[in-house]
Amino acid sequence: MTKITVNGREVEADPTKPLIAACEGNGVEVPHYCYHAGLTPVGSCRICQVEVQEGGRPPRVVVACRTPVSEGMVVNTESEAAHETRRECLEFLLKDHPLDCPICDKAGECTLQDYTYSEGQAAGQSKEPRQNFEKRKDLGEKIVLDQERCILCSRCVRFFEEVTETPQLTVSGLGSRSRIETFGDRPLVGNYQGNITDICPVGALTLKSFRFQARVWNLIKKASTCGECSRGCSISVEVLRRGEVKRIRPRYNEQVNRWWMCDTGRFATDAANPAERVSALQRGYSGLEPCELDDAVGVVRAAHGSYERHAIVASPWVTNEEGAKLAELAKRLGATPMFVSSPANDLKDELLHTGDPCPNRRGLEALGFEAKTPEELAELLAETETALLFGERVARLLGQETLDALPKSLRAFLFDDAPAAAPALRIVVGMANWVERKGTWTNIDGHEGKVQAARTAPSGIRQPLALLADLLQTESVAETANGGANAR
Amino acid sequence: MIPAGDTYLLSRSEQRDSHTIDVYKRLGGYKAIEKVLKEGIAPADVIDVLKKSGLRGRGGAGFPTGLKWSFMPDKDKDPRTRYLAVNADESEPGTCKDRVIMREDPHGLVEGCLLAAWAMKLDAVYIYVRGEYRKPYDRVQQAINEAREAGLVGENILGTDFSCEIHMHKGAGAYICGEETGLMESLEGKRGHPRPKPPFPAGFGLWGQPTTVNNVETIFNVPFIIERGADWFRSTGTEASPGNFLCGISGHVERPGVYEVPLGISAKTILDEYAGGVWKGRKLKAWIPGGSSTGLLPADLIETPMDHDSVKGVGSMFGTGAMIMLDETACVVRASEVLAHFYDHESCGQCSQCREGTQWLHEIFRRIEHGKGVQEDVDNLVRLSKQMAPGKTICALADAAAIPTLAVVKHFREEIEAHIREGGCPLKASRAQEVHA
Repeated sequence: MTKITVNGREVEADPTKPLIAACEGNGVEVPHYCYHAGLTPVGSCRICQVEVQEGGRPPRVVVACRTPVSEGMVVNTESEAAHETRRECLEFLLKDHPLDCPICDKAGECTLQDYTYSEGQAAGQSKEPRQNFEKRKDLGEKIVLDQERCILCSRCVRFFEEVTETPQLTVSGLGSRSRIETFGDRPLVGNYQGNITDICPVGALTLKSFRFQARVWNLIKKASTCGECSRGCSISVEVLRRGEVKRIRPRYNEQVNRWWMCDTGRFATDAANPAERVSALQRGYSGLEPCELDDAVGVVRAAHGSYERHAIVASPWVTNEEGAKLAELAKRLGATPMFVSSPANDLKDELLHTGDPCPNRRGLEALGFEAKTPEELAELLAETETALLFGERVARLLGQETLDALPKSLRAFLFDDAPAAAPALRIVVGMANWVERKGTWTNIDGHEGKVQAARTAPSGIRQPLALLADLLQTESVAETANGGANAR
Repeated sequence: MIPAGDTYLLSRSEQRDSHTIDVYKRLGGYKAIEKVLKEGIAPADVIDVLKKSGLRGRGGAGFPTGLKWSFMPDKDKDPRTRYLAVNADESEPGTCKDRVIMREDPHGLVEGCLLAAWAMKLDAVYIYVRGEYRKPYDRVQQAINEAREAGLVGENILGTDFSCEIHMHKGAGAYICGEETGLMESLEGKRGHPRPKPPFPAGFGLWGQPTTVNNVETIFNVPFIIERGADWFRSTGTEASPGNFLCGISGHVERPGVYEVPLGISAKTILDEYAGGVWKGRKLKAWIPGGSSTGLLPADLIETPMDHDSVKGVGSMFGTGAMIMLDETACVVRASEVLAHFYDHESCGQCSQCREGTQWLHEIFRRIEHGKGVQEDVDNLVRLSKQMAPGKTICALADAAAIPTLAVVKHFREEIEAHIREGGCPLKASRAQEVHA
């Protein structure tokens, strides 16, 4: 490690990284656009200017992203000369910028706004007409490019070159006529496109799914973990005030996903906002009918008390905490806990996606759950008298076909975030999904990812842990004569 | 008329078929490389001779060539592949000296490359030729072919174990590819985006290997120096800038062209004695000493000696020594507009200041020239230029656009303000009259 002084404080700096990394690593923010810790620094935006003094020479202003650290270097990020150079640079960056902040989706998290504000460049001096480029350039299914807002930091170009190693974007044209384009105007492809909208420092690259959907300052952000595959990328779940998940973005995690996430996880917002929620359903004469939640739980408890052969089937979305309770219940019932091990999908790639749709496979296995495919489960369930299908998405992962094929004599109880119907289902209980509950998932590498509630569950929808606590109550059978009768 | 002094750079060019190996050899060509190989002069000694000669780069910056060559890492300690890239992307407005060398005396360039390869223990030489230079390209290629047949290029040159391959590469017409790191990017097959320095080419150049980049005229000087010695070279020119240089003089002169003159000769001598004075007997108004990137100077500084330090002393740069003369009917605003347009067009677009600044300067000059200027424009020209340069960007293109702008405002502020005051070019009427007359 190299010792340098940043704003009067002596700090340790990694000599393999540029000066800006040493500043950021020690809590000193240096304005930057083209620099991104996950990409090769190119030093082109020229705004990360800081004043540096080394080896007794007079101080000079340099770009922090292309300056190596040297022993004894004295850095002042707040000197008047550094601020002045940054202000100058901003004036050029704003010259052709359309300043359509009121309708820009990036407004509020745009660093062009932030640095202009912090550097205090109050008045634009350009009287020239602003250059016109394409304002709504369609880059394929997911992304729209506004070439006028673009400040040509080339992060998006480098992302495809360096991270996914599938170059698709380029800067075309020279000088002030430079703009971002795809090669041959082809649409973008791949499962990692969304990342370029995160790293775009301005509102040039926007997600079609998020365009004009929300003002970012109205979003409530919660750190959580993605469940679309067993990688368990760290994410931020962003919910609009009325409770709809509007956006999912990656959150930096050195051990798991660094700055990135795949589009499968990013666009899982629809699954997080199910159209239909139910509290509890009970099979009556005309099929599944709404009932009191306590009654529904009572039926399950009664059945557990009355029969011999039980099956406990968990969803791979069950957290370690829920899994522990479920395993306890299985032990009490003399059953081997199992979870639905869906087959690998073809989304697997070299970067993040594991192709395994079971976010907590490792965690559940560690708790003694046995992995069973839907086909295996269909066979096993035919042998038992009761089956508790527990956990978010369990019905979908088993598949409607498997559910329908369950023998009518089986007393199947479904505890899931969204309702399902099948002849064998006697009870359906709704519960909080992964944006409404908390817990941990153990990813493919054994890393524990925290799941956190980004919103509260709708009224009448309970937490899985609370439901499990109810199911685990021992004095159940006698109390629930009514429910027990129905279950029989 | 021509002052006494040895002309050597253009001495062979006058001969018929000077571009062929026969004529080149007959006139004493390939003697330097023969001498070095036969006598086994050590590479370090070759560099020493160059250092003693005081040869300075002719590509614009005037960096001492011997010193630059000595920056190459020690081959024994750093066994990486090593390259020379010869910068023949001559695109600085006003500059046309390398074209003459490549067309008329390409073997001199080839021999210079061989000497460089020997001195710096290179593995290969690349000559990056401006795309528009078709004839010069063909001539150098022909020269390489002839030299190869004569056993002077390729494996085991002149029967020794010294080998050197020379490759040609044609640019696609971008000015920025004449910037040394832009040139290397372009040679690698990428967009000609200059690289930030450090790392410097001597440590991390072409494909990340040690590389030296030299101008054509610089390399062309080397065989003369090796053959005739450092003292001979120092017999012309000045102490700090020895030797002769090729001065391309253009603009409002009677006989524009490329002339060989000693460094330190006064600009007035070149204008009057070589180029036949300002055309049509008019008076000089302003002149650009070394290509469009060097600041324009007023007529009263025409006595300035043409060498690196003297031109720097009057607030401009020697550059490529390509002088552009503007007579009394020329409008400096119009001239600045044309040049600003050039830099706007040729900026690579990486750095914010250059990408937006060159365009901004162009717009302001165009507005003033077309009578739409406002009083703040003059101050804005100065303010923007100072925000762009010096040394605020990856390469020197922003400086090349900004520094001449500052010079124009410094020397011709009154004329710019007249444009704004009178709502257009005050010289336009007189020029129009003349065309019709």
